[in-house]
Amino acid sequence: MVKFSHVTRKYGNTVAVKDLNLKIAGNEFVVLIGPSGCGKTTTLKMVNRLINPTSGTIEVMGKNIQDLNPVTLRREIGYVIQQVGLFPNMTIAENIGVVPHLLGWDKNKSRKRAAALLTMVGMDPETYMDRYPTELSGGQQQRIGVLRALAADPPLILMDEPFGALDPITRETLQDEFKRLQTELHKTIIFVTHDIDEALKLADRIVIMRAGEVVQDATPEELLRHPADDFVAAFLGKDRLSNQELQVAQVMLENPVKAYPEMGMAEGLALMKRKKVDTVLITDHGGRFLGSVSVDEVNAKHRSFNTLGEIVDQDTPAIEKTAAAKDAFNRINEEKLPYLPVIDEKGLLVGIVTRNNMVNALASVVWGDHNGSS
Amino acid sequence: MIIMGPVEWLFDFWQFLEFYSDSVINATVRHLTLSFGAILAGIFVAVPLGILIANRAKLARVFLSITSIVQTIPTLAFLALVLPLLGVGVLPALVVLFLYSLLPILRNTYTGIRNIDAAYLEAGLGMGMNSRQLLFMVKLPLALPVIIAGIRLSTVYIISWATLSALIGAGGLGDLILTGIQTYDLNFILAGTIPTAVLALLAGSLINRLELSLTPRGLRTQG
Repeated sequence: MVKFSHVTRKYGNTVAVKDLNLKIAGNEFVVLIGPSGCGKTTTLKMVNRLINPTSGTIEVMGKNIQDLNPVTLRREIGYVIQQVGLFPNMTIAENIGVVPHLLGWDKNKSRKRAAALLTMVGMDPETYMDRYPTELSGGQQQRIGVLRALAADPPLILMDEPFGALDPITRETLQDEFKRLQTELHKTIIFVTHDIDEALKLADRIVIMRAGEVVQDATPEELLRHPADDFVAAFLGKDRLSNQELQVAQVMLENPVKAYPEMGMAEGLALMKRKKVDTVLITDHGGRFLGSVSVDEVNAKHRSFNTLGEIVDQDTPAIEKTAAAKDAFNRINEEKLPYLPVIDEKGLLVGIVTRNNMVNALASVVWGDHNGSS
Repeated sequence: MIIMGPVEWLFDFWQFLEFYSDSVINATVRHLTLSFGAILAGIFVAVPLGILIANRAKLARVFLSITSIVQTIPTLAFLALVLPLLGVGVLPALVVLFLYSLLPILRNTYTGIRNIDAAYLEAGLGMGMNSRQLLFMVKLPLALPVIIAGIRLSTVYIISWATLSALIGAGGLGDLILTGIQTYDLNFILAGTIPTAVLALLAGSLINRLELSLTPRGLRTQG
């Protein structure tokens, strides 16, 4: 689909890209990554001729792009930039329809296409088509930025740090959404980022660059297993967020407040009061997790029952300690749980994940402290 | 001069206006023709020129300094300087007013286009707009509020300065003011001054409205 042969780009005496040879196959999702000034963006912009190479040739779909009219070429290649760049004087539908308009589609067809694309990312066309970009959130704007690149259904899409300016949570959402889109659309994508986690998450293939040269060109798996040199290893390690392998065991609180089923009601109440909790987890004498009892339950039923074991809620959800921490967080969020008991593979209670330490763990990921639990 | 109370004076001025209504109307029409002729010519020259120099730093410096220098010449002196070249009448007045109208329009067109966020231009280029499409779909719409602000500024002061063109026989509301000065008649002076001020105010607010209706909703919210 795209082929760089001995491509060099110089600015005066500075070499931005040095003798680059790179082949990108159809339907491949290739991420160019590296520190600032490594030549990744220059490489990307040479594909749609926003930058011309000093020497060497670039072929797109079998044609040397130096022989093509840059304007025609660009209309056949989708382009997404970090600053989004939606035109503030155009509505969302018009923004999505820019390339179709340039290609001479009629207005109806272009609007229909915009509606279909909006639906694809879960934005209601009726609501959004005729709004202006400033009336949308940052995440929504970049969704439109991506849709705009998809509008004329180009086989190749160039993305220059498209999610770089978004907050971490929105970024993650858009990455997931885009990954899902890609599995449906099968585009060839060249994607520039400096975020190694983004690269590992999205790419079929990662090209790490430094000072205008390719240091390693490999699948995410290979890259993690066999980094080519210390630079790559440092790059993988340094900027890596740990949330991908973070397990429940690393974020949970050990020693949750627990009791045996035969504990009396009053004693249970006293225990909760002493430990300042509103729920106790119930285990048998072997440590097996049985369920939970909340302070409300005890208050409501202490006249008719004698022990905690009689009123234990056996349907209390729990999660295994080897599960991804993310799953625990998602369940707490989606099922609106105040906490999630953690069990090991034998069903023994080993800890608890609460909303509170979930926030702590997320904060440590966002601010780069990899210790996880508080 | 007879000292009058304000009510008598207003009555007197009203009678004056009734008596001279034809002259006042003719002068106003002439004044408008002069001003808007100059402004329209100014727009037709300065906007394209501003677009042209927006990408050419050297050319921009040259044209912006020339128009700035023109701006510093006193109006009275300028009219006198044009006299030997173009004689008296409407044409020299139009030329002078036209030259004065250039700077705000030129400068605002230039800055309006220069200040467009590079991201919009990159997006436009990257999607395959040619330079003409980029100009009409992106640059001009985004620079429009700034350009119109320049046109408004020019219009307001050209209407006011056009009174001076009466000095070289171009007519307009300045004629009434001159007559008033020569005959010590306050009525004549006011009959020239009040319509001029009203015209300037009206033109300013009209252009404000125009600007608002031409600015797409998406740009208005930015304030």
